[in-house]
Amino acid sequence: MSPIPPTALNQDAAVAIPATVTSPRFRFLRSPALRKPATIGGLALLLIFVLMALLASHLEPYNPTVKSGPIYAPPSGAHLLGTDDSGADMLSLVIAGSRVSLIVGFAAALVAMIIGGAVGLLSGFFGGKTDMVLMRITDYVLVIPDIPLMIIVAALFGRRLLNIIIIIGAIYWTSTARLVRAQVKSVRERTYVKRVRAVGAGNTRLIGRHILPQVAPLLIANTVLTVAVAIFAETYITFLGLGDPSLISWGKLIENSFKGDAVLNHAWWAIVAPGVCVTLVVLACTMVGQAMEDALNPRLRVGHLSVRRFRLRSLNTGLSSE
Amino acid sequence: MRSADYVVKRILFAIVTVFVAITLNFVLFRAVPGDAVSALRCRNCTVAFKEIQRRELGLDKSKWEQYRLYVTHLLRGDFGRSLRTEQPVLGELWAPIANTMPMITLGTVFSIVIGILAGVISAWRRDTLLDKTGLYTALGFYSMPTQWLGLLMVFFVAGAIGFPTSGIRDPTLGILVPASAGTVIVDRLRHMALPALTLGLSLYGEYALITRSAMLETLGEDYVLTARAKGLKNLPIVWAHGFRNALLPIITLIALSLGTIIAGAITVEYVFSYPGIGLATVEAIDQRDWPVLQAIFLLLTVSVIVFNLIADLLYVKLDPRVVDQ
Amino acid sequence: MITRRLRLAALGVAVAILAAGCSGGKASTTPSASGKIKKGGILRIGTTSYIDSLNPYNYIEAQATTAMIMIYPQLVQYAYTNNAFQIEGDWAKSWTTSTDGKDWTFNLISGAKWSDGQPMTADDAAWTINTTIKYQDGATAEMAPSVGHVTSAQATDDSTLVIHYGAPVGNALAQLEQLWILPRHVWEPLAGAKGNGLKTYRPEQHLPIVVGGAYSVKQYEKKGTTEFIPNPNFYGPPSNAQAVALTYYTNSDPMITDLQHGQLDWVDQVPFEAVSVVSKDSSLVLDKVPGSETTNITWNSNPRKPKDRELLDPQVKKALSMCVNRQQIIDVVFSGYAATVESLVGHISPLENPSLGPLQYDCTQGNQMLDQLGYTKGSNGIRVAPATTGQYAQPAHEMSYEIVTPTSTDFNVDREFEIVKEGFAAAGVKVTQKVGGDSTAAYAVETGDKCDPATSTGYTGFDIAMWDWIGYIDPDFMLSVVTKGQWCSWSDTGWDNPAYDKLYEQQGATIDPNQRKQIVYQMQQIIYDNFLYTQLINEQLIDAHSKHWTGMDPNLSGYSKKYYTAPYQTG
Repeated sequence: MSPIPPTALNQDAAVAIPATVTSPRFRFLRSPALRKPATIGGLALLLIFVLMALLASHLEPYNPTVKSGPIYAPPSGAHLLGTDDSGADMLSLVIAGSRVSLIVGFAAALVAMIIGGAVGLLSGFFGGKTDMVLMRITDYVLVIPDIPLMIIVAALFGRRLLNIIIIIGAIYWTSTARLVRAQVKSVRERTYVKRVRAVGAGNTRLIGRHILPQVAPLLIANTVLTVAVAIFAETYITFLGLGDPSLISWGKLIENSFKGDAVLNHAWWAIVAPGVCVTLVVLACTMVGQAMEDALNPRLRVGHLSVRRFRLRSLNTGLSSE
Repeated sequence: MRSADYVVKRILFAIVTVFVAITLNFVLFRAVPGDAVSALRCRNCTVAFKEIQRRELGLDKSKWEQYRLYVTHLLRGDFGRSLRTEQPVLGELWAPIANTMPMITLGTVFSIVIGILAGVISAWRRDTLLDKTGLYTALGFYSMPTQWLGLLMVFFVAGAIGFPTSGIRDPTLGILVPASAGTVIVDRLRHMALPALTLGLSLYGEYALITRSAMLETLGEDYVLTARAKGLKNLPIVWAHGFRNALLPIITLIALSLGTIIAGAITVEYVFSYPGIGLATVEAIDQRDWPVLQAIFLLLTVSVIVFNLIADLLYVKLDPRVVDQ
Repeated sequence: MITRRLRLAALGVAVAILAAGCSGGKASTTPSASGKIKKGGILRIGTTSYIDSLNPYNYIEAQATTAMIMIYPQLVQYAYTNNAFQIEGDWAKSWTTSTDGKDWTFNLISGAKWSDGQPMTADDAAWTINTTIKYQDGATAEMAPSVGHVTSAQATDDSTLVIHYGAPVGNALAQLEQLWILPRHVWEPLAGAKGNGLKTYRPEQHLPIVVGGAYSVKQYEKKGTTEFIPNPNFYGPPSNAQAVALTYYTNSDPMITDLQHGQLDWVDQVPFEAVSVVSKDSSLVLDKVPGSETTNITWNSNPRKPKDRELLDPQVKKALSMCVNRQQIIDVVFSGYAATVESLVGHISPLENPSLGPLQYDCTQGNQMLDQLGYTKGSNGIRVAPATTGQYAQPAHEMSYEIVTPTSTDFNVDREFEIVKEGFAAAGVKVTQKVGGDSTAAYAVETGDKCDPATSTGYTGFDIAMWDWIGYIDPDFMLSVVTKGQWCSWSDTGWDNPAYDKLYEQQGATIDPNQRKQIVYQMQQIIYDNFLYTQLINEQLIDAHSKHWTGMDPNLSGYSKKYYTAPYQTG
């Protein structure tokens, strides 16, 4: 009979992990899910943008903070993407913006990974009361609407970059926690782990040597997905005027186009360029992260209520089972 | 565990979460540097006057006492007064809420309709170019920042189809001559159309993917293959079954997407100057009108909790297996 | 600080204000040269400034001022003729003054009625004035400056009002132009304890408002459309338009688009980013008038500020200001529609002191000055303020500051900040932007929570801000904002200088215009020398309307009922 179809959201608690994930831990890299052109394309795109961010100051044709051309000049030989409402070169602005956007994305995802990973690890490993308490907390955090909370915290506590990173990270760790918890639980049941314990290994050793390595790849895959969410969230916050005013990011460029009446001035280049970048990076992260997760553990279920935006993991059949 | 127990458990959970939200609300806003009185529009306020205000607002009491007051007021429906207008907050929010509700309903309807259509087409023509295009388009829209999509709409679409890009009504409608109900409704819909469309486009991706995968599963099932082998005309049965398969996750997704929809609504309303609850949030932030912001946040949170509860209960009804989670 | 939102108090008259009253000619709605006025039509106005209240005792936004001018009677208003502002009568036909200048008698148009049919008499005016005086330290403080130095008012008959001043006041009419007369039979019962009911009453929530001006309000939406319908009982020249619809836009983009597509007839202030687009559109008429708004760098000049006291030194401020490229601000932020300005009072005032400065854009000299003053550059290029001793001793510290900016400006303040930041950086001083919120919120950042002039508490929480002022025709108000008396109210510099305050009192009581001019000039020089503000630019006011309407005069914005009543359709 056919297996229970993985319809979205129809998911039970952690199921036994199939063989692909035991060891060696990077066998998943050979999974067909990662061979698809879409995934490779996504990876390539991501790499391009990361390189752009790293080499930003070398790639910018002009200084993005000064006026280097007429106001709202259309794309031309001198300015490939035209200029913005202050006469600064759009291409340089977009390249410069990749820095902050990607930094926020990765840093916030890192914060989420650490918090979520820790919560999931402790929850799954110790079970019992710890598990219950931590999962309750996760439930509460999950239910509170993310964007409004971020907006309010940003409004209340200031617009420094660090605040933004922490806020984003502090909200999006929940799905990671659940995933890790499920993973840890099943790993913990493995026989060899029980044997190791019988031999007298302490908890730290157990977690560090045996469980963490099993969990790590999935954690990383999940974090890639979180990067997408984090970049998305940053553009939201900045658009509403809550971003750090001194930094150029893609979100800020979109905000500038809005405030600078780009639509009225028919300056489509000021609007299109930063948005396309965000879309591409988010898309790329989603595809890559999705593919990684599928390759690692296509059948892991984590409960119907852990769906937050971009948790397309539950909709994995769309991309990976073709 | 039995279904009934599960239901009770979820309801209790919802209630507790509401209290957690209330407490979080209180803590957040009390942690703001300065208090409600300091931000008061108080041109000629002497320090003495501010002290009186503090006492009236109970700001001189202990945190516990303030918390208790806050909760009791809430339960009475008293959300405090706006710092800007000095009017009861709830009264100020009815109009924005009334404006937002139809718009996000319309947007959700768009996203479901477009999503299902896209999903069905994709499943029908699985693995073809059409399928892949459909999927990536859905993902593409899903990955776009909503405000950016809104700006693109304003730029490329609004002018082309002649729809208004701001506000909720034509300013001259009904000034000199009373407008008929029909004209008013059409006017409102025209103003709602673009914001709702933006919202719909940015959210339809999920529905498309679910529908597609649900359809595909159904098509892959044994009895379907059997039916096909027997040469039976399977289309209506299959599609109906596949569709029903998708219905549960779609409905649940709607209930769970409220948070996302609201987030999208905030930026969409900002771009389109649509006077709803999203725009009210942005303005409250700009004006540092904390009581209003607090009330909005609480209302949104409670709505999300309620919708999650509904999703939970729907689940129990439609797929009892979840009870064993 | 303070944008056109915060209009209050003394407006002065530039020309021809004499103690002996002049009888303002009641200007009628003069048709254009072609003669015919086509009455009717709905005048659809677009704006990015909203009406926050229709209660003259409790409002902030400038748009509220305009709305209240339309609906409430005033004794006098402004006319703009021959490139100058003149006081003319609104409800008052004529006026005289007693020989000692302390009593003003106003002859009001008789037979006037409120919109609910009740007779509108001098008693309403007297009541409004007396009530405003009675609670001027509390509930009615906001309108109190319009009756500054008034001891009482009385109605000697239904159409004669006598106002008694405690001392002769040079700009009485200018101040009274900011007085709105309220219907006693509606407002008196609302007063309550200490008049608080007057301040908290929200007339716009209780339509129809009882009005006596040119229009009544048929519909009010704070962030939507407010509809004005001509008041049939109006004593003055009636509206040419059949209705006026003022629509608020949160973003100027759709507003200008609507104007271009014929969904609006008039935009009362075209944002600078949109001017180039509008000027290229041949279906629209662009009007430019010298505006009254000036933008500035506000320096915290509180002599008791505990930190960064190097910024109290006018030489330091001057040196930094010399590094700011004001021309670039004009080009980038205002699309060229602005001019540099030196005096706080602004170009709008005929009493502007023309011999201040001017401030040169010369960063080399600015750097030299700072070098000579002993602020040496550190290894990272940022200057260091050396340690000081004494009562307000400070350790040595980098010259690195925050600049507070409000979100509610009618120009792109972020861009303006960037240019200032660049300029200061060239002088070796680092600044970061602190977004303060809207007018009220940002102002609270400047004054602090516990602002109290009596104990000189406040103005310790910021170093520098960037904001704007709406200048007035009579400089009285602008000169007052740096007095101690305006601490926690209109002052944002926190300056405290008793000698200056004395001059302020003096100019207010000087009747002879030449003598007053000398004092006013001197005061501007003092403000300039102390660099309480670095005035950046003086905006032009640009409005645009479609070719189907004419008769708009942007000069009258906020000064006269004719601003709305005069425009008419061309067909």
